[in-house]
Amino acid sequence: MPQYMLALYDDPSGWKQLSPEQMQKAVEKYTAWSKKPYVIQGKRLATDLGRVLRTTNGKPRATDGPYSETKEVMGGIYLIEAKDYDEAVERTLDHPHLEHGTIELRQLYT
Amino acid sequence: MTASELTTEGRVGQDTGVLLEHLFRHQVGRVVAHLARVLGPACLDLAEESMQEAMLRALQSWPYQGIPENPAAWLFRVAHNSAIDSLRRGRFLEQKNGVVLAELTRATAISSDDPGFEEQLRDDELRMIFMCCHPEIARDARVALSLKTVGGFSVREIAGAFLADDAAIAQRLVRAKRQLRDQRITLDLPGAADLDQRLDSALETIYFVFNEGYAAHEGEDLIRRDLCFEALRLGRLLAASSIATPLVHALVAVMALQAARLPARIDEAGDLILLEDQNRARWDQGLIALGFHHFDLSIAGDQVSEYHVQAAIAATYTRAADLRSIDWPAILELYDQLLAISGASPVVALNRAVAVAKVHGAAEALAEIEPLRDNPQLRDYYLLLAVRGHLLEELGRREEAAACWRAALECRCSEPERRFLRRKLAGV
Repeated sequence: MPQYMLALYDDPSGWKQLSPEQMQKAVEKYTAWSKKPYVIQGKRLATDLGRVLRTTNGKPRATDGPYSETKEVMGGIYLIEAKDYDEAVERTLDHPHLEHGTIELRQLYT
Repeated sequence: MTASELTTEGRVGQDTGVLLEHLFRHQVGRVVAHLARVLGPACLDLAEESMQEAMLRALQSWPYQGIPENPAAWLFRVAHNSAIDSLRRGRFLEQKNGVVLAELTRATAISSDDPGFEEQLRDDELRMIFMCCHPEIARDARVALSLKTVGGFSVREIAGAFLADDAAIAQRLVRAKRQLRDQRITLDLPGAADLDQRLDSALETIYFVFNEGYAAHEGEDLIRRDLCFEALRLGRLLAASSIATPLVHALVAVMALQAARLPARIDEAGDLILLEDQNRARWDQGLIALGFHHFDLSIAGDQVSEYHVQAAIAATYTRAADLRSIDWPAILELYDQLLAISGASPVVALNRAVAVAKVHGAAEALAEIEPLRDNPQLRDYYLLLAVRGHLLEELGRREEAAACWRAALECRCSEPERRFLRRKLAGV
């Protein structure tokens, strides 16, 4: 079955507004979602902004992130199985992250 | 809930990813108390920031990596490491940094199932309760500080429960922390000399939190229920400590017996159900057993406090098998006692009137509450008008009863209370 990658973006400063109780509820919701049978795995990204590599004037160089102007950063990824984009979207629509940020959905060639 | 969260797994459903109820909130109390003792009470802010950081990291990693084996120990360790980092970065410079760093590092290595360590954590939390409830701090500031620091409530949640805005609560916290510094209040447990005074202050704070949660004013229902259970948790922490006196047990008894009725107080539609109409099968038997256990312990000694009498009243209601077998003369006698102890509190007098009506009839009860109408403390108090309306209705004075309920609707009261009054009005 085809695999899809969910890239989760959010503004980390938003989390600081949550109370401990709300943080716990959020952790529980995410974890419950990740237990769904079609979720293959999840990976958290380090909280730093990483590096961007590109070639300028013929010379490859690395610079610090971020790559875009938005405040949202990618916090982690999940891999899921779905037969097509419609099903992948269907399976992602109830992800609790949508209360906090955005999800980018991409098919992987396997 | 017991205080052994650090040694238990802290995780209820391994497969569903559900954590122990209120785990984060309760760990805030324990971890901040422990850090504050090691760092010194002047570093309370650093202790709170470190725990906040630990919870944020949990939020960033658990959804992807899964919940760790022992989530409570994980939060404890990460909060300690965060505090160590802050100290190393020199944000909180102090001479004794070296000693503190060593102590913090030692704590992260301690096995979380060491029973001695568990005891240490309970002791830290107890010290924190006494510090937050210090009599030198004004009551509203004491309440906010305890809920934030020991209870793990956020500023917004506290504001929601007390109908205040966030800025006002934040201001109270700043004031409380300033008083901690200015009065050089420490984390020392009270000694024999000041035990009574400090215990009174702690119990008063806890009972205030309970009543705010219990009294169905306005505010967010869920948070208010949480306030009741937080007060009960704090009371039980004191009752389980070496400092426990019969007074502490009396307070825990009142809170447990009253909280037992919470599930029966509101029906499915969210409407208020009076004690007389409550389905006793919905009363929480576990809390009733807990209440009677502490009630028995409260009788040791010869002190009879407001908490003792309140507990006895709640126990009398609870013991009755049904509405008809409530021992109203006994309840009236207890209210007489309570009225004397409270220094003729008008609110107690009003509650007593309900018992008077049961024993001597509505006319006598009505006569007793007449003087309360001029009491400034009860001005615009919906309950006085509601009770008066009820008594007038019983006497067949329907027009006057309706006028009372209409006036009661003008006062501050909750939506369920409002609907209750409207139903009464519709029935006249």
